[in-house]
Amino acid sequence: MEESDSEKKMEKENLGLRPFSAVVLNMLFCISVLICISLIPISKAIGSWKFCLMVYICRWALPNTALKKKVLLMGKSGSGKTSMRSIIFANYIARDTRRLGATILDRLHSLQINSSLSTYSLVDSVGNTRTFDVEHSHVRFLGNLVLNLWDCGGQDTFMENYFTSQRDNIFRNVEVLIYVFDVESRELEKDMHYYQSCLEAILQNSPDAKIFCLVHKMDLVQEDQRDLIFKEREEDLRRLSRPLECSCFRTSIWDETLYKAWSSIVYQLIPNVQQLEMNLRNFAEIIEADEVLLFERATFLVISHYQCKEQRDAHRFEKISNIIKQFKLSCSKLAASFQSMEVRNSNFAAFIDIFTSNTYVMVVMSDPSIPSAATLINIRNARKHFEKLE
Amino acid sequence: MADLDSDSRQLLAPEADREVLPGPMNIQFESSDLRPNRPFHVEPTNIVSVSGVLQRVSDHASAMNKRIHYYSRLAAPADQALVAPDHVVPAPEERYVYSPLGSAYKLQSCPEGSGKNTSLVTIFMIWNTMMGTSILSIPWGIKQAGFTTGVCVILLMGLLTLYCCYRVLRSRATIPSVDTTAWEFPDVCRHYFGAFGQWSSLLFSLVSLVGAMIVYWVLMSNFLFNTGKFVFNFIHHINDTDAALSTNDSNPVTCPSAGSGHPDNGSAIFANATGLQQFERWWDKSRTVPFYLVGLLLPLLNFKSPSFFSKFNVLEMRARFPQLTGVLTLAFFIHNCVITLLKNNKNQENNVRDLAVAYLLVTLTYLYIGVLVFASFPSPPLPKDCIEQNFLDNFPSTDVLSFVARIFLLFQMVTVYPLLGYLARVQLLGHVFGDPYPSIFHVLVLNLIIVGAGVSMACLYPNIGGIIRYSGAACGLAFVFVYPSLTYILSLRQEDRLTWPSLLFHALLIVLGLANLVAQFFM
Repeated sequence: MEESDSEKKMEKENLGLRPFSAVVLNMLFCISVLICISLIPISKAIGSWKFCLMVYICRWALPNTALKKKVLLMGKSGSGKTSMRSIIFANYIARDTRRLGATILDRLHSLQINSSLSTYSLVDSVGNTRTFDVEHSHVRFLGNLVLNLWDCGGQDTFMENYFTSQRDNIFRNVEVLIYVFDVESRELEKDMHYYQSCLEAILQNSPDAKIFCLVHKMDLVQEDQRDLIFKEREEDLRRLSRPLECSCFRTSIWDETLYKAWSSIVYQLIPNVQQLEMNLRNFAEIIEADEVLLFERATFLVISHYQCKEQRDAHRFEKISNIIKQFKLSCSKLAASFQSMEVRNSNFAAFIDIFTSNTYVMVVMSDPSIPSAATLINIRNARKHFEKLE
Repeated sequence: MADLDSDSRQLLAPEADREVLPGPMNIQFESSDLRPNRPFHVEPTNIVSVSGVLQRVSDHASAMNKRIHYYSRLAAPADQALVAPDHVVPAPEERYVYSPLGSAYKLQSCPEGSGKNTSLVTIFMIWNTMMGTSILSIPWGIKQAGFTTGVCVILLMGLLTLYCCYRVLRSRATIPSVDTTAWEFPDVCRHYFGAFGQWSSLLFSLVSLVGAMIVYWVLMSNFLFNTGKFVFNFIHHINDTDAALSTNDSNPVTCPSAGSGHPDNGSAIFANATGLQQFERWWDKSRTVPFYLVGLLLPLLNFKSPSFFSKFNVLEMRARFPQLTGVLTLAFFIHNCVITLLKNNKNQENNVRDLAVAYLLVTLTYLYIGVLVFASFPSPPLPKDCIEQNFLDNFPSTDVLSFVARIFLLFQMVTVYPLLGYLARVQLLGHVFGDPYPSIFHVLVLNLIIVGAGVSMACLYPNIGGIIRYSGAACGLAFVFVYPSLTYILSLRQEDRLTWPSLLFHALLIVLGLANLVAQFFM
């Protein structure tokens, strides 16, 4: 109560001061608002012109991304893509980019690129939101893959504009398309329709792209019905995707299924994964490790692993990934970056270290008598070998 | 930060020795803590049950714990985005608290309103809340009723109000359909009687609050007057106790009303005559001192928040409605905050027992003070009728002990008065305007009204016994007699458990309350 009172008091004081310059600024402001407002009917008549302008401005402000390979994360708005991205990539969720008001000022505001967030947003005249990744947001993923997040299928008028005018740009150079379906969605027909238009665009522009479909929010379905529903959806999607092949996963952020799905996706994206696995096995046997894991660098998704004896906990990969991502978040608060970690007690020693340019390695030794230095030297030497493989 | 759950049996045994093995687990948390902080964010390694058999936390549970821990770092605390939904978080019986040392404790099922106070603290709080300025009028009340009758009435009223308090306590349990954890008794009244119940309970609680504030004002001006008089007399070495009827003692007791009051030109003046005259003109109990208090207290009343005062009054702050007025009805009045007071009791099943013990203590205290003052009043030289409504008035202003008592009480009252004003303001303005602080003008007008009432009473009718009994009977009618009985009858009727004896008994209680109020005007 006291805070709001003092705020109110401050507001009252501020309104009381009206120097000449403030009045002039006010007038200029009003004039510019009037001009912009008068542009709306004109731009509506032209249609996608305004959106093109917006996109052009943003793309001009950003480095050229046309040559990088993309991972498209698409789905209806509200299907969980932002949460998913935030969890997998350990980004803070950007929530400010919801529907803002109907004034032109809000739209201008939303054109600003907020460099503290990892995304920026465009809100068009109807109030639809597009969220874009800022290029320098450290979401480098498996080499030079860049993650782009697109809402699609939620707003009809925008959709038409969007696909027809920007289709080629969006769907060019796509390495992976991950399409997210909300299992609770009531508009299955529409979802499928948009999915198919995305597939058409992919077929035209990046026919070699891999397609993954995630049936998301499975925790909202009753446990005994999950398999059934997922099977149904999978069949539909497979059928609709022809001639392209799609892999389907059922996911939920409250489950290990999300992590597993993304790990499988990443696994399929590694070019020579079989060779990598063989080398990893050799490495593990040479250094007498209990288990060796290879993580993708940005997401700590397990790319491959080798274990020499049965491990009890099936959830250990996700747990380690979550722990390290959480630790990375803490480090980033201090403007430090995580590099390596050693955990040792009388029963085991575990080492997590940078391996190649895209991977981290985790080595678990159950013989504590082996000194750390030995294992670290081994890891260093192996690094050189593995880098040649990539 | 690696998990220790592989092969930790060996690891944990030495640790367990180091850690003091707890006795029966008695960890309780505020139910409000559970919501934003679930599940608890300490690394789990094993579960320790009371029997001492080591169990493992399941992999699924520890994975979920890690997940939730991690997700909570990704979103702003205010953001609902990644908060675990109910169907994902385990049921309350399956939740454990993990200590940093690695062992985990099963939560005891926390009923709503589990608190941290032991029984002793709760009893003391209730006792402290109930004891108010009405204690000053108890000897007078015994005098009015006669000795034996007075003692019997005190005991009977204690029992009666205890029963009604018990009814208030149990009133929430009779409403199964709504979540009543945050309810106080006025909310229960609103549930049963609709808007009429809400407004009438607001009215009656305001009556008690304003009555309390008026009594406070009268007492404060009284104490301030006596203090000023003592200081003046002390400085100027005046001894004017001969003016009033009093005992011939080293510690005299006076009968102020029997004497000729304060003569304008005192008969036994040893110092500067005009000085005393001046002083008595400017320092009069009913004519000037009440107004001086306005300057001190009116600004204090206009503060928005009472936290400044709670620093002086740590004990009083716990009472939502410090009920002071009403000789016995209000002497035993605690009915509209008993639920809140007992909410913080550690062992909720002892609530009734603690309440009964507190009532017993209060009754004994009142009896003690009343009987003591009454019996020790020097009857041969002074008639018992001399016992003032405020028994401190029976001591002259030169008496050091009563001076100290007055100073102390004055200070306490000055700090409690703005709190009462705050409560009255929050209640009234909150209900009428929706906002406890609509604007400075509303607040100022309300404060002026209340202060004006206090001042006028102090000038015209400074009989605290009278004020106490009128306002006490009025609000006691509502909260002590009528509402608890009515709500009980209604709830019984809803459950079809109403029997003739209980209906008759509670109707009798209501009639008693009415009679109590009516009798104030006629006797």
